[in-house]
Order: sequence, then C-alpha cells, then structure tokens
Amino acid sequence: MNAQGCLVFELKNDIRELAALSRHVEALGRQAGIPARTLLEVNLALDELFTNIITYGFPQGGEHRIRFHLRADPRRLTIVIEDEGVPFDPVACAPAQAPCPLEERRVGGLGLHLVRNLMDEMSYRRTQGKNVLTLRKRIERQEPPACEAG
Amino acid sequence: MNREADMEITEETRGNARLFRLQGRLDSNTSPALEQRLAEALSNGTRGVVIDFKHLDYISSAGLRVILKTAKALKRDNGKLLLCCMQDYVKEVFEIAGFDSFLPILPSPEDALREI
Repeated sequence: MNAQGCLVFELKNDIRELAALSRHVEALGRQAGIPARTLLEVNLALDELFTNIITYGFPQGGEHRIRFHLRADPRRLTIVIEDEGVPFDPVACAPAQAPCPLEERRVGGLGLHLVRNLMDEMSYRRTQGKNVLTLRKRIERQEPPACEAG
Repeated sequence: MNREADMEITEETRGNARLFRLQGRLDSNTSPALEQRLAEALSNGTRGVVIDFKHLDYISSAGLRVILKTAKALKRDNGKLLLCCMQDYVKEVFEIAGFDSFLPILPSPEDALREI
C-alpha cells in the first residue's frame, strides 16, 4: 500500500456524474490507503460542492466540465475543484443558521454547512474566468505496526 | 447508468403507521424518488411515518431536505416522523446538520412504532 496518490479527472455538469465522482474518490482511497470514514466525508463534501456547481453555476445551460485534482499525502488530502460557471465563493458564503426549532428551519446553506464541518481548510480564488476552490483534509491514520526484522 | 437503482425503498403499513426502509445512497439523484413516495403516503392520509435507515450507507443535504420537508408537513397536520437504526456515518451527518436536535433517532423500528 502506497500512502500517496494523485488523481485528476473531469465530470460533466450532469447530476448522474455523482456515481463517477464517488468511484474516483474510492479509487484514490484504495490507492493511498485512506480510512473509510475519511473517504465518506470527502465524498460527501465533494458531492455537495459538485451539486452546487451544476445547480447554480450554468444558468445559460449547455454542457460544461468540472475538473477535480485530488492529491493524497501521508497525512493530508488536497483537493482542487475548477469550474467555468458564474463566480461563486463558498468560503465567503454566510454560515448556516444556529440550531432553531423545526418550524423555523430553512434548508438553504445546508450543503455548505456540511462541507465546512467535514473539511479542515477551504480557500477560493477566481482566476482566468474560473472558480478555483482548494480544500484540505487531514488523514487520521492508525499508527502503523512496528517494523518486522528482515 | 440508472442511479435510481442506487437506492431501494420498501414500505409497509404497521398499525396506524407507514414504515419506510431505505437501502443504498440518498443523494440528489435518488432523493426525488423518496420525496415522491413520502408525499404519496401523506396525501393518502398517513400521519405516522417511520423511516428505517439500517441499510442506508450515505446521505447528502439533498436527502436531509426531504426528511426536513416531511417532518414539517407531518407536524403541521399533527402527525409524527420518527427515524431509526442509523449507521454511525449517517448519524454523524445528521448531527453536523443539527437534525438530531428535533428528530429523535431510535434504536429499532419497534421502538419508533411504539412512539407513533
């Protein structure tokens, strides 16, 4: 098992691509030996961000591509998402509401609230007509077993 | 690929309640199917709904929205929504979203049905 790995892929702005997204995340996870829980959390964060991009990013319609770079280092996963949709900074987006009674609950911002809680760092820039979002997530590994002689 | 197949919904009537069992992934692809099934049950007069999450491996905000919408609709009509048997990871997502503060999560369908 190699504790590192790198994966670059593109998805169309089609909600059915969620299946491909989770397959890619799982493939990197196997390659880099990332714990299952971490993978599920990363999968969910990317699901929310991808769903946001394809729902709000292209009001003019048409086919577009969203690019993902995933890099696994021994202790950290770095993800960059690039899209050519309308400018949108999820980092500047107001945090979700504080807990409140059921009747007053609104659903807006729930996806980004999950992303903020699941990832350790998130930074945004708009460059050359693209939204570029960088995410970081610590990989909590169990201590490796003591090395055996030989 | 048909993503509908990524979630299976089975339902049965138990006393006054309707019990839904979910299997697979509840995301923006599959949540419209659940939303429709729940809306049908409510429009048929169901006021007690239990959703069994035992075999649900994944939930995103799209799934949480359907749960919230159903909880609100039932509360308006003096009905009740109860959830049971959540896997740790799905429970974690509920907790991050703060949904566990107003939706009790019970250990078994029988526990949930008793509360209806």
